[in-house]
Amino acid sequence: MDEPQYTVASDSETTGEEKSSSAFAEIAIGIDIGTSQCSIAVWNGSQVELLKNTRNQKLMRSYVTFKDEIPSGGVSNQISHECEIFSGVAIFNMKRLIGRVDTDPVVHASKKLPFLVQTLDIGVRPFIAALVNNAWRSTTPEEVLAIFLVELRVMAELQLKKPIRNVVLTIPVSFSRFQLTRIERACAMAGLHILRLMPEPTAVALLYAQQQQQTVHENMGSGSEKNALIFNMGAGYCDVAVTTTAGGVSQIKALAGAAIGGEDILQNMMQYLLPNSEGLFLNHRINEIKLLGLLRVATEDAIHRLSSQSSVQVDVDLGNGFKIYKVVTREEFEQVNLEVFEKCESLVTQCLRDSKVDIEDLTDVILVGGCSYIPKIRNVVMAVCKREELYKEINPLEAAVCGAALEGAVASGITDPFGSLDLLTIQVTPLGIGIRADGNSFVPIIPRNTTIPSRKELLFTTTHDNQTQALILVYEGEGTKVEENHLLGYFKIVGIPAAPKGIPEINVCMDIDASNVLRVFAGVVMPGTDQPPFMEVRMPTIDDGHGWCVEALNRTYGSTLDLVTVQKKM
Amino acid sequence: MRCYGLMIPGSETTRFYQSPLKLEPSPILRVQTVSRIPIRSVKTKATINGKASAELGQMSFYELLGITESGTLPEIKQAYKQLARKYHPDVSPPDRVEEYTRRFIRVQEAYETLSDPRMREIYDRDMAKGLHLAFSARRRYPYQNDEEMEEKTEWKNRWQSQLSELKRRSTNKDAGGSMSWAARMRRQREGLSKEP
Repeated sequence: MDEPQYTVASDSETTGEEKSSSAFAEIAIGIDIGTSQCSIAVWNGSQVELLKNTRNQKLMRSYVTFKDEIPSGGVSNQISHECEIFSGVAIFNMKRLIGRVDTDPVVHASKKLPFLVQTLDIGVRPFIAALVNNAWRSTTPEEVLAIFLVELRVMAELQLKKPIRNVVLTIPVSFSRFQLTRIERACAMAGLHILRLMPEPTAVALLYAQQQQQTVHENMGSGSEKNALIFNMGAGYCDVAVTTTAGGVSQIKALAGAAIGGEDILQNMMQYLLPNSEGLFLNHRINEIKLLGLLRVATEDAIHRLSSQSSVQVDVDLGNGFKIYKVVTREEFEQVNLEVFEKCESLVTQCLRDSKVDIEDLTDVILVGGCSYIPKIRNVVMAVCKREELYKEINPLEAAVCGAALEGAVASGITDPFGSLDLLTIQVTPLGIGIRADGNSFVPIIPRNTTIPSRKELLFTTTHDNQTQALILVYEGEGTKVEENHLLGYFKIVGIPAAPKGIPEINVCMDIDASNVLRVFAGVVMPGTDQPPFMEVRMPTIDDGHGWCVEALNRTYGSTLDLVTVQKKM
Repeated sequence: MRCYGLMIPGSETTRFYQSPLKLEPSPILRVQTVSRIPIRSVKTKATINGKASAELGQMSFYELLGITESGTLPEIKQAYKQLARKYHPDVSPPDRVEEYTRRFIRVQEAYETLSDPRMREIYDRDMAKGLHLAFSARRRYPYQNDEEMEEKTEWKNRWQSQLSELKRRSTNKDAGGSMSWAARMRRQREGLSKEP
């Protein structure tokens, strides 16, 4: 490992020593780092409390400015005007960029942000820079997040008057394990230790489980099972979960998610208001960035107003001879973003299907996240779930961080005399994990929505006579072809006994442990004789530039080290 | 049926576990194990690879959940939740996380099988034949066309018809004038870039 900081942090993760190291367990705080806003919450002994910054804000904007050489984030920073954020000095939307390579469509969509996102389109990390004294100063998503996390940590330490080390962080469902390592890296840089990474809707599910448990306590008895669909959509991501809860146990039945969010809606609207503007921002000149910033602010405002009004007037002078004077109706807005809403619909449908929970058996439908205020989103989710009403007992913008804080308290071993922390979340894997076999197919070994911790295995065999080696390429995702999935790592099995193809048996086992660490075991199965040593590889092993690895492997080995699944008649 | 050590859940877990697993079977479970005769023949095989985990492996799913073979769905759910509260790594004592995690995985498998009427039926049938352990092996070949898959297909069909309906609706939109604005723009742009 070339990243000592990260390795140290993640190694201690598996020991669970924190729980017993002191008589007074150190409580983990909950942090929700959103694409556009973030918040921090902690269990204060009787309930979850959101911490406020010096400007009395519970929700702080997720950006970092590099104005005076010393970077400062949205927690402490006092920005004189909204537009200043969009003048090139501030970097934001890092949650959309972290752990993505420059061939990723999400990275390409980010090129229209008012700072520099440069791609070489070869599968390496994009170049990100802020404008400092008329020069593009480079940074990384990890660095930006770390600056931000440090500010949050300092703010919490000042208020709680004790050092903070352990955190529960919420993450989008669609994050790959590689992206999770980047989040871990950012936390390590900020001196924080991740106790849990929680998919956002599962944090909401935990809060829901607690609320239901309390209701049961009040009504005495009726500890019946409740199913809820949770739809979370913020600026960067859309997540769906179906949870079954009874007696404080929140059992996640299925998860679905995609990198689609308010940012896409905003960009669609910006292009609608100022068509044919693509070429305008490619040079990143200062007045172009300013223009883009003004457009962004005006569009954002229009979208917000369209949640309560049926039409809005956009009247803004962008300078450079660009003026917008336009009335936009809600119908136009919905038409412009049709694809976004259709994607939301398909995520809800997919999640319900995977959960095997009938729509009629849903007790509650919960909408959270900034986009949950958009009437069309509400209608889409209610229509799929055949619901007239949504769950009202939850604050859409604070639910995720509250859930994370609850998990922080539970995972730190804190107990509550009133049973408020008598909770448990049973998580599932949001993405399938498997290997390349049967040609170019992705063969999942741990399918998506498998309860974790988990251990599953599958048998494979050789594709050539006397094949003594096999290449194991580990992927994560949902696509049937490997190229549609994220590569997590690769290694080789050697010492396969020479035999006709199809005879040797190679067992590939995947294990996700209590700390959500993925290990892949692989070895030859030879009954009756001494077992040859098997491989144990902790994933992901890849680093930046992994877009190149597969091509290089294909060039070097072709299909000579391929495997196929074993088909057996029982 | 080919049945090496690998096929037996007891040995299956040992293949990649280095340290033998220490267990403290609850009294109820132990009593029930004795009553289960068909398993014994398998036990000898399983022991080759590791005695302790074989013990865990040889328990029937009912024994794992601590319920009777006539247990109802609410009973299964109840038992599962209780055991999850005990063995889930989030709540287990820090020094026993690894051991409890293994337990939890088995409990989870038992719950998933028994809470699904179709899978429970198959399991019960196999168990009556004295080869309940083969069930676990069957799960390992997801691309095989067996009964277990048929049930999944049923679900799939139901949803696929809904999905195709959705798709059909969106294709119609594309064809008609009500195509999304963004899509139209994209198409236009594509058209433009193709021109010399």
